[in-house]
Amino acid sequence: MSSLSRPLLAWVTIAALAALGFWWAGHRREPAPRPGVTEISWYVLINPLREVYEAQVAEFERRHPEYRVRIVWVPGTEYNVRLKTLAAAHQLPDLFYTGDVWLSYLMPFTRDLSDFARRDAAETGLDTDYFPEIRRAMQLDGKIYILPEHVNVSLLYYNRRMFREANLPEPSAEWTWDDYVRAAQRLTRPGDEHHPAIWGSSRMEGWWGEWLIFVRQAGGKVFTPDGHRCLLDSPAAIAGLRFYLEKSTRYGISAPAGFEPVNGFVNQRVAMVIGGHTNFWTNYNQVTDLDWDVQILPAGPARRAGGELAIAGYSISRESRHPEAAWELVKFLTRPEAIAQVVAHGQLSVRRSVAEAVMRQPGRANPHQLEAAYRQFAYAEPIPHHPHYIEIMLQIVQAEVDRMVIGELTPEEAGRRAAADVNAFLDTFHRAAP
Amino acid sequence: MNRSRGETLWFWLFAGPAVAGLLAFNVWPMLYSLWLSFCRYEVLAPPEFIGLQNYRYLFTHDPAFWPSVRVTLVFTVANLPLAIAGALGFALLLNQPVRGRGFWRAVFFLPSILPQAAFAVVFGYIFQADGGLLNRALALAGIQGAAWTTSPTWALPVLIVVSLWSFGYPMVIFLAALQDVPRELHEAAHIDGADGWARFRHITLPLISPIIFFNVVMGVIGALKVFDLAYAFSVSQAQPMPGGPARATLFYGLNLYQQAFGFFHLGLASAMAWLLFAFIAALTYVNFRAGRRWVHYGD
Amino acid sequence: MHRRPALASLALYAALGLGAFVMLAPLAWMLLTSLKTYPEILRNPPAWLPARPQWGNYATVLGGFAYYRFFLNSVFVAVMVIAGTILTCCPAAYAFAFYETRFKGLIFGALLSTLMLPAQVTVIPLFRAFAGLGWVDTYLPLIVPAWLGGNVFGIFLLRQFFRTIPRSFLEAARIDGASEWTILWQLVVPMSRPAVLTVAVFTFLWSWNDLFNPLVYLQSESLATLPVGLLYFIARAEQLTGGSFGQVPWHLVMALAAVMVAPVVLVFVLVQRRFVESVASSGVKG
Repeated sequence: MSSLSRPLLAWVTIAALAALGFWWAGHRREPAPRPGVTEISWYVLINPLREVYEAQVAEFERRHPEYRVRIVWVPGTEYNVRLKTLAAAHQLPDLFYTGDVWLSYLMPFTRDLSDFARRDAAETGLDTDYFPEIRRAMQLDGKIYILPEHVNVSLLYYNRRMFREANLPEPSAEWTWDDYVRAAQRLTRPGDEHHPAIWGSSRMEGWWGEWLIFVRQAGGKVFTPDGHRCLLDSPAAIAGLRFYLEKSTRYGISAPAGFEPVNGFVNQRVAMVIGGHTNFWTNYNQVTDLDWDVQILPAGPARRAGGELAIAGYSISRESRHPEAAWELVKFLTRPEAIAQVVAHGQLSVRRSVAEAVMRQPGRANPHQLEAAYRQFAYAEPIPHHPHYIEIMLQIVQAEVDRMVIGELTPEEAGRRAAADVNAFLDTFHRAAP
Repeated sequence: MNRSRGETLWFWLFAGPAVAGLLAFNVWPMLYSLWLSFCRYEVLAPPEFIGLQNYRYLFTHDPAFWPSVRVTLVFTVANLPLAIAGALGFALLLNQPVRGRGFWRAVFFLPSILPQAAFAVVFGYIFQADGGLLNRALALAGIQGAAWTTSPTWALPVLIVVSLWSFGYPMVIFLAALQDVPRELHEAAHIDGADGWARFRHITLPLISPIIFFNVVMGVIGALKVFDLAYAFSVSQAQPMPGGPARATLFYGLNLYQQAFGFFHLGLASAMAWLLFAFIAALTYVNFRAGRRWVHYGD
Repeated sequence: MHRRPALASLALYAALGLGAFVMLAPLAWMLLTSLKTYPEILRNPPAWLPARPQWGNYATVLGGFAYYRFFLNSVFVAVMVIAGTILTCCPAAYAFAFYETRFKGLIFGALLSTLMLPAQVTVIPLFRAFAGLGWVDTYLPLIVPAWLGGNVFGIFLLRQFFRTIPRSFLEAARIDGASEWTILWQLVVPMSRPAVLTVAVFTFLWSWNDLFNPLVYLQSESLATLPVGLLYFIARAEQLTGGSFGQVPWHLVMALAAVMVAPVVLVFVLVQRRFVESVASSGVKG
């Protein structure tokens, strides 16, 4: 008896453990729905504002006991690719955090919010409180797919101490590329055995962040308005690429390819940066002896406009079963009080009322010329809303720009090759698409 | 009769799960991806038959396809001879009467089984231009090191060098083969006055040549599979798109992943998958024919 | 055997020692870095050794960022995969070793031919299928294949070992009235303990080191396994220090990498002799 029951007991145990394991492996980590309570799932990119969001949600649930919010934190590695993976699996959350850069990529999975927005225009302040440039950025073919929470805009960042010590006037709003180069050359000092090199400026490599600004300021464009043809082989676009290249090779104001000093601006080895990530601000202000400020971008040969304006905010899934509930949460997360908290963490406001309140604050942290950041909106534009934008820019174009930066290609060759490759891609995947 | 029927029943009971797995996770996906490779399939709409267009785009227009073939080829050509030579060299050393052979063998083998993702990250740090171990060591010698990880020229050589740490599998296989070489042959040759190199050249090498061939084929297939190393390396270097800079580390396997799960060109990626499959099938067949005398797969 | 001159012997050990140093140097640098402070990492010329070993770095990565969770996730997946592999590969190997039936050779050949197949080749249809089942962002796509004999190498290795067991043992047990199931688990498997252990270790390595499949199927942070978690940690550290071009806290990254590497080293040290020998005899690469 016992010799028979022992293996049986062992197998029963194994089977039970295996069943438990499969249950754990397969169950969606969702609490059981309670009657009368609607659960909203919300995907957020893990970012420094984690605690702020969690507090917001607690407050939302307190005010709306009929809703419960499940935050799912998604890591930054290819965040939006992960969203599309979930979309492909029909497992998108009700609400997700995204940006207008990704809008057309995710558009097929994203709900048109225009009706909600029109209905609740008074409550959201959409027509009155949002900056006009932001209102333009959040639309695609006249429809609203995203409600913005904050905005990034390209600015000229500079180190005030380094300008003072070089007896140079600080960058002005009237600067051109020439002024920028001249000042940067006077700020650059070669390194020796005892001192690291000091660079007048830096060059953002590896993505479009900086070179696209120059292409646009030189009068170039990435696409034709219909998005069917790439225009990076135009003389204007090539002039922009050339300036980007020659910052290092001809003017000597930024480090050679690949040798950007680690966090050069924070370590005060770089005097000026053309950048867009306003969430750097809190980091900058944590460095006690870093006296920094911002100015609108120097003007290019064709125009001053051309900086990038990128909004980040909330979209609702097309397959969401609770769009009304999700919309309630979107409104909650974009009300002025919520945006003020995000702005307090060093972001730029999308709403005029919040921006003005911040500017009136006495003794606020750097930048002194916060107005310049908001003024830059007028000289900035969203990246082209093209469904294949990210793939085209990072996978196809950037490879040629990378090669130009290390001297393998001239700007003409880089522009021409990029345009040819992009056009072949567009013929296959864009124009032919149903 | 009765016995044989019982055997068939037990066979299917015991092998059934594995056969089901074979059908569900290999046979069906292979056939389905063959179909997808002739389709435009971008997730949004159901697959739509477009004939050979995916293959044509890959061969004539795709800016990433040939670079990824090139990266894989360069990697194989540069890495494999070094890895095979290193594996054989250390196997020969360990084949000497040496104290603590088990210890040495374990030390040389260990890096081969470590997670490639961790390895890529550790080496990514060592090769960092500003602050990495290598450039700091070079600086002590007064040499200005290159921007190894961010330079399109150097990024692939870095990965080739990193992969040299994982020659454990061929080394162990070589060592086993060397120990099978009859000692009498060496003794006889020694008495005939053959020196060490002559004995290696005329006795050892011919006897282990099938194993060299086997290891070369496995190395080529390994190169076609490279993913973890390249992907983790890209992430550790904060590259906005895996496989950079300038597609310098865009291995075939990584390119396929990117096309499929980065951009959702699932039809195109299926075509890439089938090209890969056809190539590996051909290689395996050649290997099977040539390696039959050593690797006894069947009965 | 001829006695080697002392010089040759010295050269041999010097070569082995140098080789071992080079092989282990990256691991040593990883450990040294993981024990440094952030300023020590940034210093130029470098701080080779930490002034005081910062064991707290390990507490920081495991506790502060909740990365112990990635560790536990990895352990869970590995345990489930190993269990499935053993429970389905042993019967399959037994069937291929001891039974004669039609199609056996064909099926076994088909199984073996999948050994060379990279995961990239089958992943697209599988993703579609798993998505249809609602399994994306769960562990099932990582585990279920293992419960259907997914480890073909395991079947092969076990079959080779089972075949060395004399059939008379089996016949004797059958005459005693033991069922095939009992013979497998109470006679054949205990006799093949070394082979089963080797398969378990191989399975552990594949599951523990795998980056590709978790990357495709797991989307939420809370589900990540260690290889994905390590990359998330780097990406997130950059965000925490500001944008994608910030500083990477390499001392913490190296601590996490060490956490990931340690179990592999431990398992290897325990079983290395048998493990390496089975690699040598089977000629199959991981």
